[in-house]
Amino acid sequence: MIAILGLVIGVLVGLVVQPTVPVELQPYLPIAVVAALDALFGGLRALLDGIFDDRVFLTSFMSNILVAAFIVFLGDQLGVGTQLSTAVVVVLGIRIFSNAASIRRHLFKA
Amino acid sequence: MVARHAPSLAPERPVDASMTLLNELRRRPLDPGYAEAARRRALTGEGHGTVARVVSVVLAATLGIGVASATLSLRRPTADDRQARRLLEDEVGERKDAVEGLEAANARTAAQIAALQEAALRGEDPQLLESTRRWAVASGLGTVTGPGLRVVLTDAEAASENPEDLDLRVQDVDLQVLVNGLWAAGAEAIGVNGQRVGATTAIRSAGSAVLVDLVPLVGPYTVDAIGDAGAMQADLARSSAGQHVAMLRATYGIGLGMTSERALRLPPSPVTGLGWAVVPDDALLAAGLVDAPAKAVVPESGADDERDGP
Repeated sequence: MIAILGLVIGVLVGLVVQPTVPVELQPYLPIAVVAALDALFGGLRALLDGIFDDRVFLTSFMSNILVAAFIVFLGDQLGVGTQLSTAVVVVLGIRIFSNAASIRRHLFKA
Repeated sequence: MVARHAPSLAPERPVDASMTLLNELRRRPLDPGYAEAARRRALTGEGHGTVARVVSVVLAATLGIGVASATLSLRRPTADDRQARRLLEDEVGERKDAVEGLEAANARTAAQIAALQEAALRGEDPQLLESTRRWAVASGLGTVTGPGLRVVLTDAEAASENPEDLDLRVQDVDLQVLVNGLWAAGAEAIGVNGQRVGATTAIRSAGSAVLVDLVPLVGPYTVDAIGDAGAMQADLARSSAGQHVAMLRATYGIGLGMTSERALRLPPSPVTGLGWAVVPDDALLAAGLVDAPAKAVVPESGADDERDGP
Protein backbone atom coordinates (compact mmCIF):
# COMPACT_ATOMS: atom_id res chain seq x y z
CA MET A 1 0.00 0.00 0.00
CA ILE A 2 2.73 2.37 0.99
CA ALA A 3 4.40 1.75 -2.35
CA ILE A 4 1.29 2.95 -4.20
CA LEU A 5 1.28 6.08 -2.05
CA GLY A 6 4.92 6.66 -2.93
CA LEU A 7 4.21 6.09 -6.61
CA VAL A 8 1.37 8.63 -6.58
CA ILE A 9 3.61 11.17 -4.84
CA GLY A 10 6.33 10.50 -7.39
CA VAL A 11 3.99 10.94 -10.33
CA LEU A 12 2.67 14.22 -8.90
CA VAL A 13 6.22 15.49 -8.30
CA GLY A 14 7.17 14.45 -11.83
CA LEU A 15 4.17 16.28 -13.28
CA VAL A 16 4.97 19.46 -11.34
CA VAL A 17 8.75 19.51 -11.75
CA GLN A 18 8.76 18.11 -15.32
CA PRO A 19 12.36 16.85 -15.30
CA THR A 20 13.95 16.33 -18.69
CA VAL A 21 14.83 12.83 -19.77
CA PRO A 22 18.33 12.41 -21.23
CA VAL A 23 18.29 12.08 -25.01
CA GLU A 24 20.07 8.70 -24.87
CA LEU A 25 17.12 7.21 -22.97
CA GLN A 26 14.47 8.49 -25.40
CA PRO A 27 14.17 5.30 -27.53
CA TYR A 28 13.36 3.19 -24.47
CA LEU A 29 10.62 5.40 -23.10
CA PRO A 30 7.57 4.05 -24.98
CA ILE A 31 8.26 0.43 -24.07
CA ALA A 32 9.18 1.39 -20.51
CA VAL A 33 5.88 3.17 -20.08
CA VAL A 34 3.95 0.15 -21.41
CA ALA A 35 5.88 -2.09 -19.02
CA ALA A 36 5.11 0.24 -16.13
CA LEU A 37 1.43 0.09 -17.08
CA ASP A 38 1.58 -3.71 -16.99
CA ALA A 39 3.09 -3.68 -13.50
CA LEU A 40 0.50 -1.13 -12.41
CA PHE A 41 -2.39 -3.29 -13.58
CA GLY A 42 -0.81 -6.35 -11.98
CA GLY A 43 -0.54 -4.47 -8.69
CA LEU A 44 -4.14 -3.32 -8.89
CA ARG A 45 -5.33 -6.85 -9.51
CA ALA A 46 -3.26 -8.18 -6.60
CA LEU A 47 -4.75 -5.46 -4.44
CA LEU A 48 -8.25 -6.60 -5.33
CA ASP A 49 -7.25 -10.22 -4.83
CA GLY A 50 -6.07 -9.23 -1.36
CA ILE A 51 -2.52 -10.43 -1.91
CA PHE A 52 -0.83 -7.11 -2.66
CA ASP A 53 2.75 -6.83 -1.54
CA ASP A 54 4.88 -3.70 -1.66
CA ARG A 55 8.12 -5.48 -2.35
CA VAL A 56 6.74 -7.64 -5.15
CA PHE A 57 5.01 -4.64 -6.70
CA LEU A 58 8.16 -2.51 -6.72
CA THR A 59 10.36 -5.35 -7.90
CA SER A 60 8.00 -6.23 -10.74
CA PHE A 61 7.64 -2.57 -11.66
CA MET A 62 11.37 -2.00 -11.81
CA SER A 63 12.30 -5.26 -13.46
CA ASN A 64 9.55 -4.81 -16.04
CA ILE A 65 10.92 -1.44 -17.05
CA LEU A 66 14.54 -2.58 -17.05
CA VAL A 67 13.85 -5.76 -19.00
CA ALA A 68 11.71 -3.91 -21.54
CA ALA A 69 14.41 -1.29 -22.02
CA PHE A 70 17.05 -3.99 -22.28
CA ILE A 71 15.08 -5.86 -24.93
CA VAL A 72 14.73 -2.69 -26.99
CA PHE A 73 18.43 -1.98 -26.56
CA LEU A 74 19.31 -5.51 -27.61
CA GLY A 75 16.96 -5.29 -30.57
CA ASP A 76 18.51 -2.00 -31.64
CA GLN A 77 21.99 -3.50 -31.46
CA LEU A 78 20.90 -6.52 -33.51
CA GLY A 79 18.92 -4.49 -36.02
CA VAL A 80 15.56 -5.98 -35.05
CA GLY A 81 14.51 -3.23 -32.64
CA THR A 82 11.08 -2.65 -34.15
CA GLN A 83 10.16 -6.32 -34.25
CA LEU A 84 11.30 -6.94 -30.67
CA SER A 85 9.41 -3.87 -29.53
CA THR A 86 6.30 -5.24 -31.22
CA ALA A 87 6.77 -8.57 -29.47
CA VAL A 88 7.13 -6.88 -26.09
CA VAL A 89 4.07 -4.74 -26.69
CA VAL A 90 2.02 -7.79 -27.74
CA VAL A 91 2.97 -9.79 -24.65
CA LEU A 92 2.51 -6.90 -22.24
CA GLY A 93 -0.71 -5.95 -24.00
CA ILE A 94 -2.18 -9.43 -23.51
CA ARG A 95 -1.22 -9.31 -19.85
CA ILE A 96 -2.70 -5.88 -19.37
CA PHE A 97 -5.91 -7.06 -21.00
CA SER A 98 -6.20 -10.18 -18.83
CA ASN A 99 -5.46 -8.22 -15.68
CA ALA A 100 -7.95 -5.54 -16.67
CA ALA A 101 -10.58 -8.25 -17.27
CA SER A 102 -9.87 -9.72 -13.85
CA ILE A 103 -10.11 -6.27 -12.24
CA ARG A 104 -13.40 -5.75 -14.03
CA ARG A 105 -14.72 -9.05 -12.63
CA HIS A 106 -13.69 -7.97 -9.15
CA LEU A 107 -15.26 -4.55 -9.37
CA PHE A 108 -18.48 -5.31 -11.22
CA LYS A 109 -18.84 -9.02 -10.41
CA ALA A 110 -19.45 -9.62 -14.09
CA MET B 1 -0.76 -27.72 -12.35
CA VAL B 2 -2.77 -30.91 -12.58
CA ALA B 3 -3.36 -32.46 -9.16
CA ARG B 4 -2.41 -36.14 -9.00
CA HIS B 5 -2.95 -38.74 -6.35
CA ALA B 6 0.28 -40.49 -7.13
CA PRO B 7 3.18 -38.78 -8.89
CA SER B 8 4.15 -40.75 -11.96
CA LEU B 9 7.75 -41.15 -12.88
CA ALA B 10 7.39 -39.93 -16.44
CA PRO B 11 5.08 -36.90 -16.36
CA GLU B 12 2.46 -36.99 -19.08
CA ARG B 13 2.87 -34.38 -21.77
CA PRO B 14 -0.05 -31.95 -21.76
CA VAL B 15 -1.93 -31.72 -25.03
CA ASP B 16 -1.23 -28.06 -25.48
CA ALA B 17 2.41 -28.24 -24.53
CA SER B 18 3.43 -26.26 -27.57
CA MET B 19 1.33 -23.34 -26.43
CA THR B 20 2.69 -23.02 -22.90
CA LEU B 21 3.74 -19.45 -23.41
CA LEU B 22 0.32 -18.34 -24.59
CA ASN B 23 -1.43 -20.38 -21.89
CA GLU B 24 0.82 -18.94 -19.27
CA LEU B 25 0.00 -15.49 -20.49
CA ARG B 26 -3.72 -16.07 -20.66
CA ARG B 27 -4.32 -18.03 -17.50
CA ARG B 28 -1.91 -16.48 -15.10
CA PRO B 29 -1.29 -12.91 -16.13
CA LEU B 30 -0.68 -11.95 -12.50
CA ASP B 31 2.88 -12.05 -11.31
CA PRO B 32 3.20 -15.31 -9.31
CA GLY B 33 5.37 -13.35 -6.90
CA TYR B 34 2.27 -11.89 -5.31
CA ALA B 35 0.85 -15.30 -4.41
CA GLU B 36 4.21 -16.44 -3.14
CA ALA B 37 4.65 -13.34 -0.98
CA ALA B 38 1.15 -13.80 0.41
CA ARG B 39 1.95 -17.40 1.32
CA ARG B 40 5.20 -16.36 2.96
CA ARG B 41 3.43 -13.65 4.90
CA ALA B 42 0.83 -16.12 6.11
CA LEU B 43 3.62 -18.39 7.34
CA THR B 44 5.87 -15.84 9.05
CA GLY B 45 3.33 -13.29 10.21
CA GLU B 46 3.16 -9.59 9.22
CA GLY B 47 5.92 -8.39 6.93
CA HIS B 48 8.28 -5.49 6.75
CA GLY B 49 10.03 -3.16 9.19
CA THR B 50 10.24 0.64 9.14
CA VAL B 51 13.41 0.76 7.06
CA ALA B 52 11.84 -1.43 4.40
CA ARG B 53 8.80 0.83 4.31
CA VAL B 54 10.89 3.98 3.88
CA VAL B 55 12.93 2.31 1.15
CA SER B 56 9.69 1.26 -0.55
CA VAL B 57 8.29 4.78 -0.52
CA VAL B 58 11.49 6.33 -1.84
CA LEU B 59 11.84 3.70 -4.54
CA ALA B 60 8.20 4.04 -5.53
CA ALA B 61 8.45 7.83 -5.65
CA THR B 62 11.55 7.57 -7.85
CA LEU B 63 9.77 5.19 -10.19
CA GLY B 64 6.77 7.51 -10.26
CA ILE B 65 8.90 10.50 -11.18
CA GLY B 66 10.60 8.44 -13.86
CA VAL B 67 7.37 7.23 -15.40
CA ALA B 68 5.75 10.66 -15.23
CA SER B 69 8.70 12.39 -16.89
CA ALA B 70 8.95 9.62 -19.49
CA THR B 71 5.28 10.06 -20.36
CA LEU B 72 5.62 13.82 -20.47
CA SER B 73 8.66 13.72 -22.71
CA LEU B 74 6.86 11.32 -25.05
CA ARG B 75 4.06 13.81 -25.41
CA ARG B 76 6.37 16.79 -25.85
CA PRO B 77 7.75 17.65 -29.30
CA THR B 78 11.23 16.23 -29.57
CA ALA B 79 14.39 18.28 -29.38
CA ASP B 80 14.97 17.83 -33.11
CA ASP B 81 11.63 19.39 -34.01
CA ARG B 82 12.30 22.34 -31.76
CA GLN B 83 15.78 22.78 -33.14
CA ALA B 84 14.58 22.75 -36.74
CA ARG B 85 11.85 25.19 -35.85
CA ARG B 86 14.29 27.55 -34.15
CA LEU B 87 16.59 27.37 -37.16
CA LEU B 88 13.76 28.33 -39.48
CA GLU B 89 12.67 31.14 -37.18
CA ASP B 90 16.20 32.50 -37.09
CA GLU B 91 16.40 32.34 -40.86
CA VAL B 92 13.09 34.15 -41.29
CA GLY B 93 14.24 36.85 -38.88
CA GLU B 94 17.54 37.27 -40.71
CA ARG B 95 15.89 37.57 -44.09
CA LYS B 96 13.40 40.08 -42.71
CA ASP B 97 16.22 42.19 -41.32
CA ALA B 98 18.02 42.01 -44.66
CA VAL B 99 14.86 43.11 -46.51
CA GLU B 100 14.35 46.00 -44.12
CA GLY B 101 17.97 47.08 -44.54
CA LEU B 102 17.67 46.99 -48.33
CA GLU B 103 14.41 48.94 -48.22
CA ALA B 104 16.02 51.60 -46.08
CA ALA B 105 19.00 51.79 -48.46
CA ASN B 106 16.59 52.03 -51.38
CA ALA B 107 14.70 54.91 -49.75
CA ARG B 108 17.98 56.70 -49.03
CA THR B 109 19.12 56.32 -52.62
CA ALA B 110 15.77 57.52 -53.94
CA ALA B 111 15.94 60.61 -51.74
CA GLN B 112 19.47 61.21 -52.96
CA ILE B 113 18.37 60.94 -56.58
CA ALA B 114 15.53 63.37 -55.97
CA ALA B 115 17.83 65.84 -54.26
CA LEU B 116 20.42 65.62 -57.07
CA GLN B 117 17.70 66.00 -59.69
CA GLU B 118 16.38 69.08 -57.98
CA ALA B 119 19.83 70.57 -57.55
CA ALA B 120 20.68 69.92 -61.19
CA LEU B 121 17.45 71.31 -62.58
CA ARG B 122 17.03 74.31 -60.31
CA GLY B 123 19.53 76.48 -62.11
CA GLU B 124 19.18 74.94 -65.57
CA ASP B 125 15.50 74.50 -66.18
CA PRO B 126 13.07 75.64 -63.49
CA GLN B 127 10.15 74.92 -65.79
CA LEU B 128 11.17 71.30 -66.22
CA LEU B 129 11.64 71.03 -62.46
CA GLU B 130 8.08 72.26 -61.93
CA SER B 131 6.64 69.74 -64.38
CA THR B 132 8.79 66.98 -62.86
CA ARG B 133 7.31 67.79 -59.48
CA ARG B 134 3.81 67.72 -60.90
CA TRP B 135 4.37 64.39 -62.57
CA ALA B 136 6.02 63.00 -59.44
CA VAL B 137 2.63 63.17 -57.74
CA ALA B 138 0.95 61.14 -60.46
CA SER B 139 3.76 58.61 -60.81
CA GLY B 140 4.02 58.06 -57.08
CA LEU B 141 7.63 59.28 -56.84
CA GLY B 142 7.09 62.12 -54.41
CA THR B 143 5.54 62.41 -50.98
CA VAL B 144 2.03 63.83 -51.14
CA THR B 145 0.22 65.46 -48.26
CA GLY B 146 -3.20 66.98 -48.05
CA PRO B 147 -6.82 66.39 -47.18
CA GLY B 148 -8.55 63.32 -48.52
CA LEU B 149 -10.82 60.36 -48.07
CA ARG B 150 -9.96 57.32 -45.95
CA VAL B 151 -11.73 54.04 -46.70
CA VAL B 152 -11.20 51.13 -44.30
CA LEU B 153 -12.14 47.61 -45.39
CA THR B 154 -12.19 44.90 -42.69
CA ASP B 155 -12.63 41.15 -43.02
CA ALA B 156 -16.05 39.90 -41.99
CA GLU B 157 -16.32 38.88 -38.34
CA ALA B 158 -17.27 35.34 -39.38
CA ALA B 159 -13.91 35.04 -41.19
CA SER B 160 -12.08 34.00 -38.03
CA GLU B 161 -14.49 31.07 -37.63
CA ASN B 162 -14.28 29.98 -41.27
CA PRO B 163 -10.67 30.58 -42.20
CA GLU B 164 -11.18 28.61 -45.42
CA ASP B 165 -13.96 30.83 -46.73
CA LEU B 166 -12.18 33.47 -48.81
CA ASP B 167 -15.47 35.21 -49.60
CA LEU B 168 -15.55 36.54 -46.05
CA ARG B 169 -12.18 38.23 -46.51
CA VAL B 170 -11.19 41.36 -48.33
CA GLN B 171 -9.60 40.18 -51.57
CA ASP B 172 -7.26 41.71 -54.08
CA VAL B 173 -10.09 42.27 -56.54
CA ASP B 174 -12.02 44.33 -53.98
CA LEU B 175 -9.05 46.61 -53.44
CA GLN B 176 -8.50 46.85 -57.20
CA VAL B 177 -12.10 47.92 -57.76
CA LEU B 178 -11.98 50.40 -54.89
CA VAL B 179 -8.66 51.93 -55.98
CA ASN B 180 -9.79 52.24 -59.60
CA GLY B 181 -13.06 53.77 -58.40
CA LEU B 182 -11.14 56.31 -56.35
CA TRP B 183 -8.91 57.20 -59.33
CA ALA B 184 -12.06 57.66 -61.41
CA ALA B 185 -13.58 59.82 -58.68
CA GLY B 186 -10.65 62.21 -58.95
CA ALA B 187 -8.11 61.07 -56.38
CA GLU B 188 -4.69 62.65 -56.86
CA ALA B 189 -2.73 60.03 -54.97
CA ILE B 190 -3.70 56.73 -53.36
CA GLY B 191 -2.04 54.53 -50.76
CA VAL B 192 -3.09 51.19 -49.33
CA ASN B 193 -1.90 50.58 -45.75
CA GLY B 194 0.87 53.13 -46.37
CA GLN B 195 1.91 51.55 -49.69
CA ARG B 196 1.75 54.15 -52.44
CA VAL B 197 -0.23 53.07 -55.48
CA GLY B 198 1.27 54.35 -58.72
CA ALA B 199 0.28 53.92 -62.33
CA THR B 200 2.06 50.57 -62.64
CA THR B 201 1.42 49.26 -59.14
CA ALA B 202 -0.08 45.79 -59.08
CA ILE B 203 -2.64 44.73 -56.49
CA ARG B 204 -2.63 40.97 -56.46
CA SER B 205 -3.05 38.09 -54.11
CA ALA B 206 -0.74 35.25 -53.14
CA GLY B 207 -2.68 32.61 -51.25
CA SER B 208 -4.87 34.51 -48.84
CA ALA B 209 -2.53 37.50 -48.60
CA VAL B 210 -3.03 40.66 -50.61
CA LEU B 211 0.09 42.10 -52.22
CA VAL B 212 0.31 45.76 -53.09
CA ASP B 213 3.46 46.56 -55.02
CA LEU B 214 4.62 43.03 -54.05
CA VAL B 215 4.44 43.92 -50.35
CA PRO B 216 2.14 41.56 -48.44
CA LEU B 217 -0.48 43.39 -46.42
CA VAL B 218 -2.88 42.22 -43.73
CA GLY B 219 -6.30 43.60 -42.91
CA PRO B 220 -7.85 45.92 -42.01
CA TYR B 221 -7.02 47.59 -45.32
CA THR B 222 -6.83 51.37 -45.12
CA VAL B 223 -7.12 53.04 -48.51
CA ASP B 224 -6.10 56.69 -48.38
CA ALA B 225 -6.99 58.89 -51.34
CA ILE B 226 -5.85 62.50 -51.46
CA GLY B 227 -8.28 64.89 -53.07
CA ASP B 228 -11.67 66.47 -52.41
CA ALA B 229 -13.15 64.04 -49.90
CA GLY B 230 -16.79 65.08 -50.34
CA ALA B 231 -16.72 64.98 -54.11
CA MET B 232 -14.83 61.65 -54.16
CA GLN B 233 -17.30 60.08 -51.76
CA ALA B 234 -20.25 61.21 -53.84
CA ASP B 235 -18.68 60.07 -57.12
CA LEU B 236 -17.68 56.75 -55.61
CA ALA B 237 -21.17 56.09 -54.31
CA ARG B 238 -22.57 56.61 -57.81
CA SER B 239 -19.98 54.43 -59.55
CA SER B 240 -19.90 50.67 -60.02
CA ALA B 241 -17.00 50.52 -57.53
CA GLY B 242 -19.30 51.98 -54.88
CA GLN B 243 -21.90 49.37 -55.70
CA HIS B 244 -19.29 46.62 -55.45
CA VAL B 245 -18.18 47.80 -52.01
CA ALA B 246 -21.78 48.13 -50.83
CA MET B 247 -22.44 44.60 -52.09
CA LEU B 248 -19.43 43.34 -50.07
CA ARG B 249 -20.92 44.80 -46.93
CA ALA B 250 -24.46 43.59 -47.58
CA THR B 251 -23.67 40.08 -48.81
CA TYR B 252 -20.53 39.02 -46.95
CA GLY B 253 -20.54 41.30 -43.91
CA ILE B 254 -17.21 42.89 -44.82
CA GLY B 255 -16.67 46.00 -42.73
CA LEU B 256 -16.61 49.36 -44.56
CA GLY B 257 -15.73 52.70 -43.02
CA MET B 258 -15.34 56.05 -44.83
CA THR B 259 -13.99 59.17 -43.17
CA SER B 260 -12.75 62.43 -44.59
CA GLU B 261 -9.33 63.28 -43.22
CA ARG B 262 -7.87 66.72 -42.95
CA ALA B 263 -4.22 65.75 -43.35
CA LEU B 264 -3.08 62.57 -45.08
CA ARG B 265 0.51 61.82 -45.94
CA LEU B 266 1.45 59.33 -48.60
CA PRO B 267 5.10 58.24 -48.88
CA PRO B 268 6.65 57.72 -52.31
CA SER B 269 6.50 54.33 -53.93
CA PRO B 270 9.66 52.40 -52.97
CA VAL B 271 10.02 50.71 -56.34
CA THR B 272 10.86 53.12 -59.10
CA GLY B 273 12.49 52.13 -62.33
CA LEU B 274 13.96 54.54 -64.78
CA GLY B 275 12.17 53.77 -68.03
CA TRP B 276 13.49 56.37 -70.40
CA ALA B 277 16.17 59.01 -70.27
CA VAL B 278 17.44 61.65 -72.65
CA VAL B 279 20.75 63.42 -72.49
CA PRO B 280 20.23 67.10 -73.32
CA ASP B 281 21.80 68.17 -76.62
CA ASP B 282 23.91 70.91 -75.11
CA ALA B 283 25.28 68.52 -72.53
CA LEU B 284 26.48 66.22 -75.30
CA LEU B 285 27.98 69.14 -77.15
CA ALA B 286 29.71 70.36 -74.04
CA ALA B 287 31.18 66.94 -73.47
CA GLY B 288 32.38 66.82 -77.07
CA LEU B 289 30.66 63.53 -77.75
CA VAL B 290 28.87 64.68 -80.90
CA ASP B 291 29.78 67.14 -83.58
CA ALA B 292 26.38 68.15 -84.77
CA PRO B 293 23.31 68.70 -82.64
CA ALA B 294 21.63 65.29 -82.92
CA LYS B 295 19.25 63.88 -80.45
CA ALA B 296 20.55 60.85 -78.60
CA VAL B 297 18.18 58.54 -76.89
CA VAL B 298 19.61 56.33 -74.19
CA PRO B 299 17.18 53.67 -73.11
CA GLU B 300 17.94 52.40 -69.66
CA SER B 301 18.75 48.72 -70.03
CA GLY B 302 17.44 47.29 -66.77
CA ALA B 303 14.20 49.24 -66.83
CA ASP B 304 12.13 46.76 -68.79
CA ASP B 305 13.02 43.85 -66.56
CA GLU B 306 12.06 45.87 -63.54
CA ARG B 307 8.68 46.82 -64.89
CA ASP B 308 7.77 43.32 -66.01
CA GLY B 309 9.11 41.72 -62.87
CA PRO B 310 6.94 39.39 -60.87
